[in-house]
Amino acid sequence: MPLSVLSSIKDAKQSESVTKLFETIKQANINKNTENQENINLLNTSIVEVSSLREDTVIESSETEKQFIKANFPLQKNGFLVVPKVID
Amino acid sequence: MSSKIRQIHTELTRQEYSCTDLIKNKLSELENSPHNSANSILAKTALQKAQEIDQKIQQGKKLDELAGIPFGVKDVYLLQGTYATASADMLKSYKAPYTATAIQKLLDKGAIPIVRENCDSFGHGSSSENTVFGAVKNALDLQTVAGGSSGGSAVNVAKNYTVFSIGGDTGGSIRQPAGFNQVYGLKPTYGRISRFGLMAYASSTDCVGMFTQNLEDTTILLNAMSGKDFRDQTSVDSPKISEVSTWKTKPSNFTVGFYRNFIENEALDASIKADFINLIEKLQNQGINVQALDFYDAQTLVATYYIVAMAETASNLARLDGINYGERSDESVLKDGYALTRSQNFTQETKRRIVSGNQVLSQGHSEEIYLQAQNLRNNIMAHFANDFEQVNVILSPVAPNHPPKIGENLKNPLAMYLSDAYTVGFSLGKLPTLTAPFGTDIGVQITTAKNQEETAFQFAQFLETL
Repeated sequence: MPLSVLSSIKDAKQSESVTKLFETIKQANINKNTENQENINLLNTSIVEVSSLREDTVIESSETEKQFIKANFPLQKNGFLVVPKVID
Repeated sequence: MSSKIRQIHTELTRQEYSCTDLIKNKLSELENSPHNSANSILAKTALQKAQEIDQKIQQGKKLDELAGIPFGVKDVYLLQGTYATASADMLKSYKAPYTATAIQKLLDKGAIPIVRENCDSFGHGSSSENTVFGAVKNALDLQTVAGGSSGGSAVNVAKNYTVFSIGGDTGGSIRQPAGFNQVYGLKPTYGRISRFGLMAYASSTDCVGMFTQNLEDTTILLNAMSGKDFRDQTSVDSPKISEVSTWKTKPSNFTVGFYRNFIENEALDASIKADFINLIEKLQNQGINVQALDFYDAQTLVATYYIVAMAETASNLARLDGINYGERSDESVLKDGYALTRSQNFTQETKRRIVSGNQVLSQGHSEEIYLQAQNLRNNIMAHFANDFEQVNVILSPVAPNHPPKIGENLKNPLAMYLSDAYTVGFSLGKLPTLTAPFGTDIGVQITTAKNQEETAFQFAQFLETL
């Protein structure tokens, strides 16, 4: 898929500087020694555990917050929030 | 140097001057500054808060030591009712609907935000030149960059426009400008301070941190802002840092590590290298064990960090499409509107990172680039775990070079990325790292194992005496 579609940026092009970073990573020597597996699993132990997730409940925003959210909307007309056309 | 926060607190409560006069002076300094460190100055609300503090003092009410202290906020934090632009056209008219947890904790103690600070757009940069408000100028030399991405925050503390400033550090954005402007800068352990209300750049390394003029203020602020927050599932509870007055003056049974290849790196400036080696020798002369360690080369560290960070920022900034908030460039058709809005309202560097991030996540690239980078990150974290079984702290330069002249590195993104060689590894490791403004003329980094900030602070205090 073209980069312009992936990134929703017109005329998106591959960067020469970033391509050099990609080449470095492709050639990097990764230690896949299983003796180090215990330490390598450290990353996995720092992720959030399901048992400690907060309750999935709705928290009502304050009235002030709601006013700012509405005021930030890019376009309003006759009291309605205007969005671009989705289907012709 | 002793606490600036406590000094001002004492002077305010003794009524040597009013909080209103203090804030007026700071606002005036910011307005007349040639450093371009402010995106917006919060004069009206700051003066209102100052009057409230003055009233409480006159009524003899007990105040927290942070009450009335003027501070700055990098322009990537939400502070209800203020413009939160991320130094980007995309959000130039956006007003924060709520306040970030870290900032709210300071407000609750009575600290007064006086300025939203210039920075690289969405944190994308290492010089504070990638900003639609114009480059931030270094506190020590107006011709050179302030460092980045939290350049405005570092300059404001260095110039004493703010008593402290809250920056954000994803790959070095606090530590490097702290070194370039000779102030203290802390990136705490990942998760120690809630990220809720900080605009996300790379969520797995983003950290809230602070710039100060002394260690005591860093301690006060870290204790004030730390803690688990139900709004940030990656936040954690951490041990409180003890009072500076209780710290040991000299570490005993202590081993300092440094990465041999950082110092042998050909890109390292000769004078920074000489100063760093001199510092190592001073430590050895003091009877401190010093151990040279091996680590990944600079190119691998930079590549690993940028690939992870670009992938995450591409995902995080996908929400900015001109529909719910921010600028909207085209009202007619949805898909064309997305592309035009994002093309016109992101800076060149931000677009480069979004495009590259989407590229590494795309089919064909994700396995050989993104997953390879994630594997390398796992290896780097394992390497740190081994190193901290041998040493108490790791000492390293902040950057390979002195701050460049403004405009010098803008045309060479790769040079800019490589300038982060000494900071990004510790970000990937989620480790606490303090920049202390001595040792070399752009400071030194002191890194410890997770949640060992106090060890870093005590060691910094000892280094200052050498």
